[in-house]
Amino acid sequence: MGEMQIRPLTLNFGPQHPAAHGVLRLVLEMDGEVIQRADPHIGLLHRGTEKLIEQKTYLQALPYFDRLDYVSPMNQEHVWALAIESALQIEVPRRAQLIRVMFCEIGRILNHLLNLTTFAIDVGAMTPLLWGFEEREHLMEFCERASGARLHAAYFRPGGVHQDIPDGLAEDILNWCDKFPNFITDLETLLTDNRIFKQRTVDIGVLSADNALALGMSGPVIRASGLAWDLRKSNPYDAYDEMKFDIPVGKTGDCYARYLVRVEEMKQSLSIIKQAIHKMEPGPVLAQNNKITPPRRGDMKMSMESLIHHFKIYTEGFHVPASESYTAVEAPKGEFGVYLVSDGSNKPYRCKIRAPGYFFMAAVDEMSRGHMLADSVAIIGSLDVVFGEIDR
Amino acid sequence: MTTADTIHPEMTTNNTEPSFEALATQLLANSAERVPSLKGQLVYRCELSKLISVLKLLNSNENLEFSQLSDLTAVDYPGRIQRFELVYQLLSITHNRRIRIICAIDEGQIVPSATGVYKSAEWPEREVWDMYGLFFSDHPDLRRLLTDYGFEGHPLRKDFPLTGYVEVRYDDIERRVAYQPVQLTQEYRDFDFLSPWEGDQELVHSSLNAEAENKENAKKDGGS
Amino acid sequence: MGVIPPRMDVPIPPGETQDKILNAVTDEITNKGFVIASADKLFNWARSGSLWPMTFGLACCAVEMMHSAASRYDMDRYGMLFRPSPRQSDVMIVAGTLTNKMAPALRRVYDQMPEPRWVLSMGSCANGGGYYHYSYAVVRGCDRIVPVDVYVPGCPPTAEALIYGLLQLQKKIKRTETIARR
Repeated sequence: MGEMQIRPLTLNFGPQHPAAHGVLRLVLEMDGEVIQRADPHIGLLHRGTEKLIEQKTYLQALPYFDRLDYVSPMNQEHVWALAIESALQIEVPRRAQLIRVMFCEIGRILNHLLNLTTFAIDVGAMTPLLWGFEEREHLMEFCERASGARLHAAYFRPGGVHQDIPDGLAEDILNWCDKFPNFITDLETLLTDNRIFKQRTVDIGVLSADNALALGMSGPVIRASGLAWDLRKSNPYDAYDEMKFDIPVGKTGDCYARYLVRVEEMKQSLSIIKQAIHKMEPGPVLAQNNKITPPRRGDMKMSMESLIHHFKIYTEGFHVPASESYTAVEAPKGEFGVYLVSDGSNKPYRCKIRAPGYFFMAAVDEMSRGHMLADSVAIIGSLDVVFGEIDR
Repeated sequence: MTTADTIHPEMTTNNTEPSFEALATQLLANSAERVPSLKGQLVYRCELSKLISVLKLLNSNENLEFSQLSDLTAVDYPGRIQRFELVYQLLSITHNRRIRIICAIDEGQIVPSATGVYKSAEWPEREVWDMYGLFFSDHPDLRRLLTDYGFEGHPLRKDFPLTGYVEVRYDDIERRVAYQPVQLTQEYRDFDFLSPWEGDQELVHSSLNAEAENKENAKKDGGS
Repeated sequence: MGVIPPRMDVPIPPGETQDKILNAVTDEITNKGFVIASADKLFNWARSGSLWPMTFGLACCAVEMMHSAASRYDMDRYGMLFRPSPRQSDVMIVAGTLTNKMAPALRRVYDQMPEPRWVLSMGSCANGGGYYHYSYAVVRGCDRIVPVDVYVPGCPPTAEALIYGLLQLQKKIKRTETIARR
């Protein structure tokens, strides 16, 4: 037989693909079924968020953050609110802090529900999606009762939250918390000891702790690789320093470890929600600073000063003194940070959004080499990427 | 009410744990200097020529151990002499500290790539090239990341218009997606709410350009 | 039909004779005699009763789209089954912001769909650029790229709103589709 030249096959995975988790174009160079190189083309959802934010006031820029990681919107709003509060040096009232912690953990559960169930469906298990989305519907009902919108709430404002949670919501959330462990048990029964699931995920996409650190990983990915790093513990913000919870840490750093870490995080989130609700006491939910936070609607209609403050805050907005800061929170996917440069005017001068998924996608190349095509799907699913935040 | 001229009152250099800060300042003595920042933040400024050595020092020194590059970005100050500022956010997990390195550069200058020191710098540098036009030498693969395939221009520069120069529609005759100049049905309405009662103020952005002027004005105003 | 061509093996060149024949044939169909009307109704019932959407979730609206297909607002009871391939789907739900970079891919996928096909634009970003209308990288409405049949407003439209939009599409199909070529 004569010599045959073998060229790698270039395969285009996406951008329209059910398992691409949004718009991802992954150009794979393959030798047969094995991936030699993976080149993610992102930017198919690049909407120019940062440039648009520079043209809007601080309050008008808040809904952009909702639309970044759209599976757990409130966690992103949280960063913006914290960044502005640190620049303005205002104190957030206690009730607002607890409400924020509660909704952050609800967002964490929302995110893990979507991620685990879509990961399962990518790998082949279709049932968890249908069960999990019913739980998500319950949580989105809670969001809707508190803020008016199921998904993009614009609820966390600089200074607290927009309005107090309605009566009865806290009890309903507690009732739901009592029933949710049944779902987790069902999910684990289906997936954790499942031979097929394990064959698809164990030893796939292994990341060692040092490698994960060097690649910029954070969140469940780095915890699954063995490093116990959680911004809620190392850098507590809002009321997290009072909450008692554990951080699940994995050992092997493969897709299976990430799955287990997320399931355990859901359980811990439940306990945080319950603690937050039990600590809540009646009080204001917005910092009482007339120049920054708008007055209550009733006051606005009766008092002239409140009317003027309302008008000024919603048209001109508040001015943030010239400063720069980097604020990061433990979003469900990882470390979500905002580098805010303000120049003293009512609009941000520069706002850089540090999305966890950005660094995960950058690492997909390294993680999928040597694996097969179907494994790349499992790797992307286990890394938990959402293109709203990657492309901004 | 703060005006455009006042720098944040909390920006000082004495606001983090003294021993770590002292150590960092000492180790960086020849290459970077501490700048005022908000409470709890360590911010250093350095020259472009010393940038990589500073990053290497922060990465390798066992007392500092900034093992992760959290973020790398650039900011555009068109009025300044050195137009761009590169900002590196570093994180040390073992010591639970963050540090920020700021490096001012000119428009045409070539920046040494940090990918040799931190692997996670690869994509952020591509993005800075794409958004600002800052070229990184020794980068393994410097091409556009977020913008469209044939995009011209660097969007996040302040002189790039918000709506860009081209837009897209499907051309039935050519049977493909075609680019045409932007035609908006309604222009972006930019309401300038800054009050005319507060006197003849310079344009807001110029406050960032002349830092010396800022300090003078802050002294003059004495906290308005 | 009174025009009989002299030779049956040679196609008639474009011109008056060809026009007359074609018009006569189409008149028969569009005049909607009893048989044709019932056939129309049957096809439209079949088409609208089993609309298979293609997954074209781009951004946040995709999450609401998934919710509308999940257990509570089950789309499957309307016969709507999400198909990953454009070749097997009837309707494309453009859910999310369409960017300049993604536009050629959208058009390509639309071209791969077989007729009859419909497009439902979901969310304000797909309707007219939405929250990102003034951005440099966003297509101001997916109707610049593909022809749209139903627009569902919202940011994001709730899952119920999407189901409502799909039901409106079903009504539109029943109302406007004919077996004559469009």
